Amino acid sequence: MPYDKTWGNRIFDAFNITVLSVIALLCVLPFIYILAVSFTAPHIVAQGGFILYPKEFSLAAYKYIFSTNTLVRSLGVSIYVTVVGTLINLVLTSLLAYPLSRKTLRGRQLILMGVLFTMLFNGGLIPTYYVVKSLGMIDTLWSLMIPTAISAFNLIVLKNFFQNIPEGLEDSAKIDGCNDVGVLFRIVLPLSLPAIATFALFYAVDHWNKYFSAIMYINDNEKWPVQVLLREIVINANSRVGDTNIEEMNIQPLTIKMAVIVFATLPIMVVYPFLQKHFAKGVMLGSVKG
Amino acid sequence: MNKKARLSLACGVVVGATSILAACGSDDSNPASSGSPSPSAAPSSTASAKPADTTPLQLSIAITQVGDIPAKGNEVEQAIEKFTNTKLDIQWIPSAAYDEKINVMLASNEMPKLVKLNYVPNVFNAVQSGLFWEIGPLLKDYKNLSAQNPQFYENIKIEGKIYGVPLFRNMGRGAIVYRKDWMDNLKLPFPKTTEEWYNVLKALTLNDPDQNGKNDTYGIVLHKKYNQGQASMLTRFAVAQGGINKWAVDNEGNFTPEHDTPQMMEALNLFRRLYAEKLINQDFAVLDTTEAEKLMDTEKVGMRFAVATNGKSQQDRLSKVNPNAVIDVANFEGPQGIRISSENGNNGFLAIPKSAVKTEDELKRVLGFLDQLMSPEMSTLLLRGIEGKHYGKTADDRTEFIGDGFNLFQREVKPYRDNLTVLEGYNVKPLKDVPIGEKGTKMEADGIKYIVSNPALTLTSATYSERGAELDTLIWDAQTKYIMGKIDEAGYKAELEKWKKSGGDKIMAEYKESYQKFIKK
Repeated sequence: MPYDKTWGNRIFDAFNITVLSVIALLCVLPFIYILAVSFTAPHIVAQGGFILYPKEFSLAAYKYIFSTNTLVRSLGVSIYVTVVGTLINLVLTSLLAYPLSRKTLRGRQLILMGVLFTMLFNGGLIPTYYVVKSLGMIDTLWSLMIPTAISAFNLIVLKNFFQNIPEGLEDSAKIDGCNDVGVLFRIVLPLSLPAIATFALFYAVDHWNKYFSAIMYINDNEKWPVQVLLREIVINANSRVGDTNIEEMNIQPLTIKMAVIVFATLPIMVVYPFLQKHFAKGVMLGSVKG
Repeated sequence: MNKKARLSLACGVVVGATSILAACGSDDSNPASSGSPSPSAAPSSTASAKPADTTPLQLSIAITQVGDIPAKGNEVEQAIEKFTNTKLDIQWIPSAAYDEKINVMLASNEMPKLVKLNYVPNVFNAVQSGLFWEIGPLLKDYKNLSAQNPQFYENIKIEGKIYGVPLFRNMGRGAIVYRKDWMDNLKLPFPKTTEEWYNVLKALTLNDPDQNGKNDTYGIVLHKKYNQGQASMLTRFAVAQGGINKWAVDNEGNFTPEHDTPQMMEALNLFRRLYAEKLINQDFAVLDTTEAEKLMDTEKVGMRFAVATNGKSQQDRLSKVNPNAVIDVANFEGPQGIRISSENGNNGFLAIPKSAVKTEDELKRVLGFLDQLMSPEMSTLLLRGIEGKHYGKTADDRTEFIGDGFNLFQREVKPYRDNLTVLEGYNVKPLKDVPIGEKGTKMEADGIKYIVSNPALTLTSATYSERGAELDTLIWDAQTKYIMGKIDEAGYKAELEKWKKSGGDKIMAEYKESYQKFIKK
């Protein structure tokens, strides 16, 4: 970018850098704070103030949360639900989105209407609970994965993405002797990796943050995902205004809260960089000679 | 239609159909309000034949999760089972979504034999539709349950009847936690009258009670919820001065709201005067509750309205900052002696669903279980833990936590204690503690002698359920404006008139009706 380094330009650059740095800091600081607090000795935190690095390094909070296997077990549940659930999501979403993106499918408008209908209206809590119950999914991890197997919104976006794939590609694949399933798995999906990766991330984050449905459908606390415990530890759900009885409030020290937050958010944050490389654009360049 | 198209059609239809089914289970959206449950006769539990008294009672319980979930079959649970001859199956429900979960259980009629209910409108509907046993008439047969103060049961009545056993909580817990060392520095006695209160709070603000040469203290700070709910500072203060707790009722059933009483005016005038002279924090209308409490931890404030057992934890926190700080706890006392605005006296109640407990015999066994929990052995287990592991006996026939016993207790026993029928001070040996801790515990147990109850607590008012929040806010805002000097007494009275016109009068009329129907038989 060669341009004249006039003072105006420099000031403009400096201004941009400053503003953007401040915004970046605003995003990063809370995370740093949470991390730092979780590694700080509790009595330092008790004095208040903003902590950016552990003045006195301590693993007490982590020792406490790992002293029972509850949290680790729930993390296992969360990971299982996220991995298996996301796979189910992706398979089912693409299996439905692909046929809907083909103009040759009769009645696709009708099916699409059905999908849209679910976006606008849902049965409500109790009817949904009954559906899950009568399918025998109460107290199983399936109840966290099957009812949300396809997100109507993601489905429509993916369908539109498939529609943008030039038909010429498919035609040529069929001429080379590929059937529908082959076209989907060997041509369309590989070309759609950016979209698939994006939805994988959406779905995974959704599963990771499963909270309410877990409480509704799962009575056995050994099958609770990590968010249920997280919320219980971080939020004192004692909503009675001003009941200032510490005994009853079950207040956890800030360090423990922060340690649990770190513990529950890190895994899903770690996933992101691995998916990020698929967000690259331009996979379709040159595949169709116009 | 060629073969390919047919295949994809089939594929599409199958997946489409399943997705529509599945998509009904939308994501974790807001919990819809549940419809009123209908008492259907679908038995969900196994109706056992009439058990002989020696077989353990199979008892499923749904209660709130407190902190960690105890492992199944832990020592405490085993001890309870052994003593009460039951086989417990406890379902812990996270408190954050407790009411929603209960609604689902009510609607789908999947009830355990004992369920903890919160005293909320949804529960009233369920109770009124006859899902739970009424146990009022049976209570007298149970030694420990009937030994409790009747006010506990009064406070969980629904349409004048008792449908469960409260999770007892002391009602007269309100107290003032204050810096004794500061008061000693100022050589001031503890205030009783409003005038004395003014002088003490003024001295705590201006006379440098911490003797650090800086004017950096307040006598007391208000926070944005200072006049809301059970812990309303204004209510507590006005009651101590001889006022009423939210409502008063005369023999005719005519109700008076607290904000229309001279004692409340007195409290408001005190804080108005303090505010005008900058003797309380000027930002109280927006100050967070927790922030306000922290100010005491950092030696900026001399007093706070709290509950008696807060004294000990306040002392602990302060000692870390200043080893010389001394905290004491005082009762709310006015010219007429000690008067404490009563709290609800329960943390929900344990009810017995008819769908799970089908016979009166079984009902009596379940009640017997709750009664046994209040026996000396079980009270001690739930309030102190297991002897030798959590607590030990002292030479003077008291109990004390040993070693790391208290922390273990918090993890292993507290979940049961908070959810089952026990009451500190009943059938349990006193706890050896630091003096401030003992004092607090004793004050909370004795407080019941001084409580001033809210007569409208269990009365129903359609207007209040519908628009109570809005009407309360109107009053709260008026009080805040009055303290801040934005309106004068005439302005405040005008706001009260507005409250009456927009529904206050209706509430009083509905309470009167409800009172005459259910209480004045």
